[in-house]
Amino acid sequence: MIIALIIIGIIFLFGIFFYNSLIGKRNQVTNAFSAIDVMLKKRFDLIPNLVEVVKQYTNYEQETLTKIVELRAKATSGNISDAEKAQIDSQLSSSVKGLMVNVENYPDLKANTNFINLQTTWTESEEQIAAARRTYNSSVTDYNNAIMMFPGSFFAGMLNYQPIPVLETAAEERKNISAKDLFNS
Amino acid sequence: MQFGIDTNVALQNVLATMEVERKKIAAAQTKGYIFLGVGVVLAILGFALGFPIPAVIGGLIPCIYGGVLLYQISDELSAYKTAYKNDVIGAALKFLDQSLTISPNQGIDSSEFVYTQLYSQGPDRYKTEDLVTGSAGQTRFYFAEVHAEYKTTTQTKNGTKTEWHDIFKGIIFAADFNKNFKGVTIVKPKDFGNAIGAWFSKNVFSFGSNDVVQLENPDFTKAFVTYGSDQVEARYLLTPAMMERILKLNAQSSYSITLSFIESRMYIAFPLDRNYFEAPIFKSLLNPDALNDDITTIKFMYDIVKELDLNTRIWGKN
Repeated sequence: MIIALIIIGIIFLFGIFFYNSLIGKRNQVTNAFSAIDVMLKKRFDLIPNLVEVVKQYTNYEQETLTKIVELRAKATSGNISDAEKAQIDSQLSSSVKGLMVNVENYPDLKANTNFINLQTTWTESEEQIAAARRTYNSSVTDYNNAIMMFPGSFFAGMLNYQPIPVLETAAEERKNISAKDLFNS
Repeated sequence: MQFGIDTNVALQNVLATMEVERKKIAAAQTKGYIFLGVGVVLAILGFALGFPIPAVIGGLIPCIYGGVLLYQISDELSAYKTAYKNDVIGAALKFLDQSLTISPNQGIDSSEFVYTQLYSQGPDRYKTEDLVTGSAGQTRFYFAEVHAEYKTTTQTKNGTKTEWHDIFKGIIFAADFNKNFKGVTIVKPKDFGNAIGAWFSKNVFSFGSNDVVQLENPDFTKAFVTYGSDQVEARYLLTPAMMERILKLNAQSSYSITLSFIESRMYIAFPLDRNYFEAPIFKSLLNPDALNDDITTIKFMYDIVKELDLNTRIWGKN
């Protein structure tokens, strides 16, 4: 009788432990996503300055600049989903990348201290976002593993927890940069 | 000899002058040790044959004479050792880079050793020497020999017994890191204890402020356990490229390395077996092997900056 009670007690404790760790992992995913969000906001804040500096030196990049400003406005408007935000960010990222390449045509701009600062901050934010995405993916993998393996799968069914997809690189970012394309554009 | 040291007239002249000194010291030491040896043999023989008093007298006299000889040469020996570090190693450093200098009596303070968090155990006995400072490109770095130990005392029948154990013996390398960061990230070799600790803190309960950072590179996670105060920042520092570079550096080292990123610096601990930058006494200075070994070690440290790509300054830190 006592042994049965002890066994039930142990099972109960393990149950609590797995249940709590599952919730912890789920919260970790949310937390990791908010880290990406912070980094994205930091990056979006760079855009107005970047646009201002570039504007002073070039008359030919208007189209790209307008597109960048529009994308930023959309991203910071507030009523978009996380997935949309990530999507806008990848478009923004490739537009700015294109702009950075075209800067080669404007030696004055290239030598401008403000621009150089912005460029390094931009590179820094790219790497920080990459790090935040990797953190998110790591938390998602951890969570997915937990809810798919026994006994986590049992509680996941109870809590109606579904696997979360990992963030993948947008198709345009994954494309290898071809030197030929760059020179032809 | 590599690094063009053998063709340098000034350095070869220094070596030739010091070689005379070395021979003198070697001869005196040999004589001293022979007398000590003879004394001990005489004493043992005397006791074995049943003449204790002649054994003590016969053994003591050569021993005292040997000791005096060794004592007389000790000042010259330490002067010779310092001169070797300053004039030979110091000059050889300039072949690699003009910015490199060696300070034989300085090192990395024990407070800095604790601060690096490379090893969680605090030292009870600490020795450091041979601080080399310099810069490779834009990156300033320094490294020094460090020997840190902790002691254990156990109660035995005959009183307390104190034993000393190594925490770390080797070279600690520090370089200005090329990215800005605020927290602490520590990369430790994955031995049994660290693996268990990492599993425990990931799955059960985490002690302290640093959590395990689960990185994506399987080779890296097989070789190291990473702890960090900030998950995102740890990944910002340990990019996929950086992990590959650290693995390569680890493969080139004789023992597994430990790294920490703290207060805009990166620290790397290289455990080593022997004491570096020491003047040879019973080997000729004109034989390039000893010096070559030391220079190779310095070159290895100097090249870390290049290996880890610390001179790429595009992340808003100059």
